[in-house]
Amino acid sequence: MSVSIPENKKISPFLVFFVVQKMQFGIGILGFQRIIAKTAGYDAWISIILAGIAVHIVLWALFKMLETVNGDMISIHTFVFGKIVSKIFGLFFILYYLLLTVTVIRTYVEIVQVWMFTDLTTFWFSLIFLIVVVYIIFGGFRTVTGMAFFGIVLPFYVLALFLFTLPYAEFDNLLPILDHSISDILLGSKNMSLTVLGFESLLIFYPFIKDQKKSKKWAHLAVFSTTMIYVYLAILTFAYFPENQLQKNIWPTLTMWKIIMMPFVERFEYIGIANWCLIILPNASIALWCSSRIAKRLFSIKQRTTVPILAFICLIATSLLFTRKQVNLLSDLVGQIGFYLNFFYFPLLLVATLIAKKVKKNEVGS
Amino acid sequence: MKIPFKKKNTEKEALEKVLSKSNDYKNIHFTNEKTKVEFYLTFIASLTDEKIIHKEALPYLLHGELYNLDDVPELITIAETEISTNPKDIELKLFNGYVLVQVVGNEEQLCFFAAQREVGRSIGVPEVEFSVIGPKEAFVESMKQNLNLVRKRIPVKELVIEELTVGKISKTKVAIIYLEEITNQENINTVRQRLQDIDIDGVTDSSFIVQIISDNQNSPFPQLLDTERPDRVTASIIEGKVAIIVDGSPHALIGPTTLVELFSSFEDYFLNWIVSSFFRLIRLFAVTFSILVTPIYVATLSYHYELIPRDLLSALVASRRAIPFPPILEALFLELTIELLREAGARLPTKVGQTIGIVGGIVIGTASVEAGLTSNVLLIIIALAALASFTTPVYRMGNTIRLLRFPFLLFAELWGLVGIVLSFCIMLTHLIRLTSLGRPYLEPLYPPRRQDMKDALIRLSFKNQAKRPVFLRSKHPSRLDERDAKQKQDIDE
Repeated sequence: MSVSIPENKKISPFLVFFVVQKMQFGIGILGFQRIIAKTAGYDAWISIILAGIAVHIVLWALFKMLETVNGDMISIHTFVFGKIVSKIFGLFFILYYLLLTVTVIRTYVEIVQVWMFTDLTTFWFSLIFLIVVVYIIFGGFRTVTGMAFFGIVLPFYVLALFLFTLPYAEFDNLLPILDHSISDILLGSKNMSLTVLGFESLLIFYPFIKDQKKSKKWAHLAVFSTTMIYVYLAILTFAYFPENQLQKNIWPTLTMWKIIMMPFVERFEYIGIANWCLIILPNASIALWCSSRIAKRLFSIKQRTTVPILAFICLIATSLLFTRKQVNLLSDLVGQIGFYLNFFYFPLLLVATLIAKKVKKNEVGS
Repeated sequence: MKIPFKKKNTEKEALEKVLSKSNDYKNIHFTNEKTKVEFYLTFIASLTDEKIIHKEALPYLLHGELYNLDDVPELITIAETEISTNPKDIELKLFNGYVLVQVVGNEEQLCFFAAQREVGRSIGVPEVEFSVIGPKEAFVESMKQNLNLVRKRIPVKELVIEELTVGKISKTKVAIIYLEEITNQENINTVRQRLQDIDIDGVTDSSFIVQIISDNQNSPFPQLLDTERPDRVTASIIEGKVAIIVDGSPHALIGPTTLVELFSSFEDYFLNWIVSSFFRLIRLFAVTFSILVTPIYVATLSYHYELIPRDLLSALVASRRAIPFPPILEALFLELTIELLREAGARLPTKVGQTIGIVGGIVIGTASVEAGLTSNVLLIIIALAALASFTTPVYRMGNTIRLLRFPFLLFAELWGLVGIVLSFCIMLTHLIRLTSLGRPYLEPLYPPRRQDMKDALIRLSFKNQAKRPVFLRSKHPSRLDERDAKQKQDIDE
């Protein structure tokens, strides 16, 4: 059942940190503050921490499953449900990752259209973007990881730039703490979870990790650091915006950049948005890679043929989404699927796996 | 000239048929005075040194006690002699500057002695990789000399020099040099295999080899380091790399290499680590600046002028007010001018080249600003970018850097800053995918290896360089004997 990957195509365990963090840390960070503050108000930072804890638990469950079968998601499904059902589930996951790719690209294009180029054609930009994605994936999983690595390391300076808002920050905004009901805060956590998803791609690239036991701590560290970054950003945002004003900004992170002023540069959001290209690219690459990888595992089609085809489907899908509403609908849909997948399906799958393991053990024993 | 050989020696006959058309082919008949033995000397005059033949060989052959061919090596005072019966050796040896001796009546036995004429310039000063301090020797065109330069710096038995012949017609000698106990066997095999697989008629320089055996021939980035400094080659070999020296080329090749190594100058190792780290960072900045500054100018002025603070913007606008072209044309015009100047300077003799530089740099620059074709701000930017691009210590890399800015410019014109980042991503992906002799090119940046960072963007002190680079997968990862590693002492002990 286990999948063998040549040693020179595998990645070091600590690179898992970058892949996991990369998938969590994407387009969502530009606008999550408003969404979580909608229900939890300025107690929403507690929601982020709760969401973070939930992610840690799910991550633990994922590792538990993977260790049981020593393979990837397909092996788990085959282990629990048998071959035919696992194929149906696999098809669903191909679609899910395709949708994820489309969402990521389309949302980014929308931001560029709104903030920088109103007349940017979605088709042409997505075309070039997807060509680069295909080029990355053709380099193998190591290249995908490499882009994830640079996608985190190079734009890291951006985090420090948020400190420019400190002179205008009113930390009193956060008081009083625990002003909202538990259910509101939990609802905020649910909304937050949409932006921290993506770590489940671990289920697919797990066989590509060299020393899988060691990678655990790195994956958890990644989740922890993402949570911390989100908390840091949320607190700065809440201190910067009065609560009512925050609800009027779809992308508060971008609005915050506007305040940055240096002798040679103003309106930092332009640089920020351009920079985000480097952050989005690995996201889309990992998602599309996962999609093609599942296809390979299910039907043993070469990734060299599936990747361009899948990319082409993405291209058409992105170009067909015209309005803000459609984009919103899509990202909500993907978020919902991801939410139920991660917080309901995978824990159940873990239980199923453990039961299956017991049953099989008994069969062998008797 | 009478042909002395009968049908037996068809190989030589066939050779002679072609060779007799050339004037420098000599086949001379002699008779020994004492023993009256008749013999022939055959050689290519342009490849052999007559002095050696006349002083070291002929007197003994003519007046010594020569009875048969076996006496020849004992009579003459040349160490490199060889007796063979294989007629195929004739062509090989003759064209490597050997003289063939044949005794009449015993034509099947062949005796060769070496009498190569050594022509070529003497060892000079490195010109491409000049350094203020450090050794001033540079490789020359003769492989013998070059090997000597390397060998005398590594006087150990582990230093292996393998020789191959490349090129169907040119028969160029290529040497692979490595340290037996240190260099990774896989790297050596890769180099040997690729050299053996070369299928080409002529090789006249190591740059042919580097282009043919590169991992990705469609990449603008050089994937092997070429250097004219014997000291650099030596250091690399000791580090665990493989060097290739090609006969007739004053540039040795070193591999596997990495991107950061192509931005390091060998002078970095002559300076104190703090100073050299500073220089490396300056160079890194220079390269980034050189690639990105013109595209950023085009992007901001075409699309995002809001980025520029008001005071600075007014200065920029003032300098551009009278200019009829969009920023991209303006930038392309000046970039092309600089490229023309560089190309003209490179093709012309040094003294004329200097004049061209002055004429081009000052006259064209000032005139185009005065004529209102370009803004003076852009002129400053482009001149600085050109200056910055020349700080790259490896010439090949410098060319790549100069080329890279054009795609960036086009993308900047297309989608502004987003375009620049997108083209940067393409470049980054390309670099991640690139390998040098199968080893990752971007190492130690990606895959990130902390240990190799000691000699990458900055260079730490020699005390911290006790380990060989990880990516070389050396058989001996440690440069020192483990037991010599000293323990840190506490204060006052």
